[in-house]
Amino acid sequence: MKLVVLLSVGRHPVSGKPALPRTEAQAIRIAAELGASIGLHVGPDAFPAEAALGHGLDRAVHLACAGGPDPIGPLVARIATEAPDVVLAGRRGQGGEETGLAPYAVAARLGVPIVPDAVAIRPAGDGLVEVDQALPKGALRRLVVRTPLVVTVHPNAPAPLPYAFGKARRGSIERVDAAAADLAAVAPAPEERPYRKRPKMMRAAGGSAADRLKAVTGEATAGGAKILDGPTPEDAAKEVLAFLRRVGVLAPAGAGATGPTA
Amino acid sequence: MTRPRRDPRAERAAARTAGAERPRYDLGAKASASRRPRRDPRTEAASQRVPGAARLRLDRSQFGVVPVLAAHAPERPAEKAPPKPVIVENPDFLVLVAPDMAGGRLGEHDRQLFGAARELAGKTGATFALVGAASPDLGPAGADRIAIAARDPDAYDPDGRAAEIVAAMRALDPRHVLFAESADGGDLARRVAVLTGEPLFADAEQVSASALGRPARCRKVEQRSAPTRLVTVAADCVASYAGAPREARLETVELSTDRTGAAGAIVSARLIPADPATVPLALADFVVSAGNGVTDLDLFARVVAALGATPGASRVLCDAGLMPRDRQVGASGTVLGATCYFALGIAGAPQHLQGVADCEHIVAVNTDLHAAMIARAGLGIIQDAQLVMPAILKELERERGDRP
Ligand SMILES: Cc1cc2nc3c(=O)[nH]c(=O)nc-3n(C[C@H](O)[C@H](O)[C@H](O)COP(=O)(O)OP(=O)(O)OC[C@H]3O[C@@H](n4cnc5c(N)ncnc54)[C@H](O)[C@@H]3O)c2cc1C
Ligand SMILES: Nc1ncnc2c1ncn2[C@@H]1O[C@H](COP(=O)(O)O)[C@@H](O)[C@H]1O
Repeated sequence: MKLVVLLSVGRHPVSGKPALPRTEAQAIRIAAELGASIGLHVGPDAFPAEAALGHGLDRAVHLACAGGPDPIGPLVARIATEAPDVVLAGRRGQGGEETGLAPYAVAARLGVPIVPDAVAIRPAGDGLVEVDQALPKGALRRLVVRTPLVVTVHPNAPAPLPYAFGKARRGSIERVDAAAADLAAVAPAPEERPYRKRPKMMRAAGGSAADRLKAVTGEATAGGAKILDGPTPEDAAKEVLAFLRRVGVLAPAGAGATGPTA
Repeated sequence: MTRPRRDPRAERAAARTAGAERPRYDLGAKASASRRPRRDPRTEAASQRVPGAARLRLDRSQFGVVPVLAAHAPERPAEKAPPKPVIVENPDFLVLVAPDMAGGRLGEHDRQLFGAARELAGKTGATFALVGAASPDLGPAGADRIAIAARDPDAYDPDGRAAEIVAAMRALDPRHVLFAESADGGDLARRVAVLTGEPLFADAEQVSASALGRPARCRKVEQRSAPTRLVTVAADCVASYAGAPREARLETVELSTDRTGAAGAIVSARLIPADPATVPLALADFVVSAGNGVTDLDLFARVVAALGATPGASRVLCDAGLMPRDRQVGASGTVLGATCYFALGIAGAPQHLQGVADCEHIVAVNTDLHAAMIARAGLGIIQDAQLVMPAILKELERERGDRP
């Protein structure tokens, strides 16, 4: 399988120094374990290409251009000539606009599907790949998708391989100037000002200290309670199971397995 | 001096009750209407008295129910009719809302999304929700109009959903389209942005009719702009709608989509639920938790496994080394996001309750009727947890036995 990993220049959230965004390093690991893969970066700086070699790729392409223009044009042009099965990208950039639109724009321009938030990719034979997509609350969605496709990587994917200096030295970086025809200006950024942290929203800001404590512990939302004072344990058990089934966390009676003992 | 001079003698004479041989005065009735009503501690205490108890018990939270003398009690307003829904008949513009509605229910993030939409719509605009299925919560949440999407809400077809929203945008020409910045909503918004070629204001943390704000460059700067057409709203940053319920009028919209390009690339989609036994507490959907009132932890582990739940514990058990530290629920442990919490023998200290504040449903088993956990619960059972646990196991066993 042939893969391309899209690399951007990130900023370290604390030091502000250039750093490869973590999800892109995770994407490199997924790609390196799947087959022949190259890294691809558009911009004035060769740094992401070098970092990608250290994190596990053998080859990276740096499409050089002056800072500022939209990277989508050169990315799409190069991906079209490479014709990979899977294009991997980070979920959001880090240190820039952080909109996460680039992979969607690339997929739309290539006319291929995009699958967001992947944690694992496996080949599934004959032009198909199986992608595990991370969902909230620890669940997964297992998709079988036709190649070629674009996949963005979720932070829950396996941790990136550590940076190895020797590996970074051995790999090769191909530096090409991006074709001027592909470059388009980006829309001007909105007005910027220093970030100001705002207070967290509270559920119900009450007047008294007791009200605020209730808002924090959730007692303010309690109500309509059913209290059984001293039922027999059997009645209590029936009541509890009925309640759990009503709120939908327990499978209905006779509907098959709940838990490993069933 | 403009204030009339008081005449205590005449006041006293006016308060004299007729008919008695000995002079008797009803001084309680005296206080004039302009004064603050006079408190009567005796009737207050009587109204706070918990009936039935042999020992005198006063429910102090009842304070203020009958705070003043009967003679001064203000007229109670008649039984309040449910508030009339607000109707915007001819809106100047529309704000299209695409809530996630996971499982067909309106989540907290969805409600905040409607709060943001109402903020943008103001008095003259209307919010228009495009939903998979109607829900009675939509009106109170702030939806003026709703339309039902034709697509199957359970199937995984993000491209189809995005195409439908683009069709709705063509038919309704909304001034704004709002999405939740969640896994599904954020994905949908970006698909719509590349389909329409319009800029997306992603992850908005401040939403008002005049400006939107979002963090950028690792939260070092805040970008502001006048409200754009496509916006995704971050979680827990905008207050949900709290005004009078809206109309939620059902409308039909032409949602014909021309599916081209990548349609049909997804061959199959299968949902794999998280394994409750190993999922981290913060992600668990159903947590069964033991406190100091549970002595048989082997039995507890079997109950947890039989219910298919994630185990949790109060700090007492974790401090005693009976449960691992990563299972502790509460302020110094894990704050849960579970749908349901089942507390066995837990008193409900504020530090513990902070961890379950977001749980929608709570079941508590405790021997103490007045435990805070019972007060917080939707179903409270006053019984020994050591007896209830085997009964639950036996009941599940019996149900399995009953199955053909
Ligand atoms: C800074 C700080 C942070 C803290 N953080 C946390 C935290 O994160 N999480 C946390 O849990 N605690 C925390 N605590 C501790 C908290 O204040 C309580 O001490 C603790 O939650 C009490 O645990 P419990 O309810 O299990 O035990 P107890 O208070 O001993 O209550 C046991 C309950 O079980 C009932 N019971 C007894 N026998 C039975 C029976 N046979 N059947 C049924 N019920 C029975 C009793 O009636 C009682 O209500 C913190 C405390 C401090 C000071
Ligand atoms: N200049 C670029 N060159 C290559 N890939 C990029 C570039 N910019 C963004 N990407 C990819 O797009 C993802 C999302 O970026 P963004 O849309 O800027 O948040 C990143 O994680 C990268 O994988």
